[in-house]
Amino acid sequence: MTELGDNFFRHEYGRLVAMLSRRVGVHNVEAVEDAVQFALGAAVETWPRSNIPDRPSAWLFRVAHNYVLGELRRSAHRADLALQHHAHLEPHELDSPQVFLASDVRDDMLRMLFACCDDSLPIEAQLVLALKVLCGFDVREIAERIFVSEANVYKRLARARSRLREVDFELDDLNPSELASRVPAVQTILYVLFTEGYLSSHAEGAIRRELCDESIRLTHELAGHALITSPDTFALLALMHLHVARMPARQDGSGGLLLLAEQDRSLWDQKQITTGLEWLARSAQGEVFSRYHAEAGIAAEHCLAPSFAETRWERIVENYAFLEQLAPSALHTLNRAVALAEWKGPEAGLQLLDSLAPPSWLAGSYMWFAVLSDLHRRAGNIEVAKQHRASALGCAPSSAVQAALERRLAL
Amino acid sequence: MPKYLCLQRGLPGGSQDGDKPSPSQMQAMYAKFNEWRDKFRDNIVDLGGRLASSRIALPEPAPDGPLVEVKELVGGYMIVSAATLDEAIEVAKGCPGLVHPGSGVEVIEIRSPG
Repeated sequence: MTELGDNFFRHEYGRLVAMLSRRVGVHNVEAVEDAVQFALGAAVETWPRSNIPDRPSAWLFRVAHNYVLGELRRSAHRADLALQHHAHLEPHELDSPQVFLASDVRDDMLRMLFACCDDSLPIEAQLVLALKVLCGFDVREIAERIFVSEANVYKRLARARSRLREVDFELDDLNPSELASRVPAVQTILYVLFTEGYLSSHAEGAIRRELCDESIRLTHELAGHALITSPDTFALLALMHLHVARMPARQDGSGGLLLLAEQDRSLWDQKQITTGLEWLARSAQGEVFSRYHAEAGIAAEHCLAPSFAETRWERIVENYAFLEQLAPSALHTLNRAVALAEWKGPEAGLQLLDSLAPPSWLAGSYMWFAVLSDLHRRAGNIEVAKQHRASALGCAPSSAVQAALERRLAL
Repeated sequence: MPKYLCLQRGLPGGSQDGDKPSPSQMQAMYAKFNEWRDKFRDNIVDLGGRLASSRIALPEPAPDGPLVEVKELVGGYMIVSAATLDEAIEVAKGCPGLVHPGSGVEVIEIRSPG
């Protein structure tokens, strides 16, 4: 056998870092990462010469485990300090065959994810840390994916790591109620990770898709964990699947962005839609209606509409209104105005926007001007529409967005 | 067919420890190595391996001299068979990771009696 799954090394990296951090302490994460790097390197070197071992994951674990224990012993010896975790460092573990239950690995991954979501860290640092230790991207790859410089990634990572070094809890010590209290932070990071992929203007579709798939993978881990599973996590998962379903239709052949009304709905991934709707159905339990429920509800309406014109805009307006209450943002109001205009006409949308004082980040963005231009054009105010159109084109962040605007706002 | 010993040698000035490859890059290296191995299946006699540190046994004790430095420079070995030295070099050069800015490969014919 010479075949390994796509992303095998990257996913093993995340699994191994999580498994070993749980065993030797999350404050040793750097030594753990070195050990995992070593084990993967050893695999590249030896597997083609012999063959892939029967249980490649167990092989990698054994090599990385031995390596990290050796390193920790050496550094403990150097520092002449007794290791806090000597109980974990007994060699008897090394010889026993390592077979891991999927549920244990899932638990390790989640605990590591929970450690990354430390609320004393800025969310940007949490995101970079999760991409590094759980998704197995290196600094260059992270920089490329989230559009920041490598130096910036290093900085965020250094901050996150120094925080982990001080962490005084062990992953094992996190009890169910502590885990539950961090669930919202974990959901946020998964949502941000997904959004990075979904909304990114990265030219390569494959790279955007990869981030979406990573966040879906980790959210499944969260949804599948018996102790901390909750309906809003199901809703989060539903919204991810329902958005990803439409990704194949969002770009034209040359990478340009296609608007919802222009998309070929036959390209939407029906399997993803089905999965998304299943999770949405499962999310409809309990007392809580979260922002993820509202967003998944909106995405579901789009997926279920046979055409743009046949969209149930009243449902979408309603969900945006919920979203505004749950997570107040002028952007949600803007979206509601767009849906309202489709439902009741452009004047209704403009009326709603009149009552909105946009914050500066929105008032200077192409989205704001684009909506104004479009609604004014449809209301017959051509001159006003022209002015807003010029402003929208001037604020477009990328040529793909600009091209989409030029089509959408044609007068 | 004659056999050739291939020794990976560090090049003067080339750094051995460049950037660590990312997991994705390692997966790509792994795939390339397998492709190379399949392509030259008939030429590869012994895939060899990396070489660790060595000591040289001498007829009489000698102070550390130039010989000692040699061991630092050999990274790994393998044995290939080929009709000519040029063909053997082609096989070795195709092996991912063997020839890059930090190292080259020395290909030596193994003389067989007769």
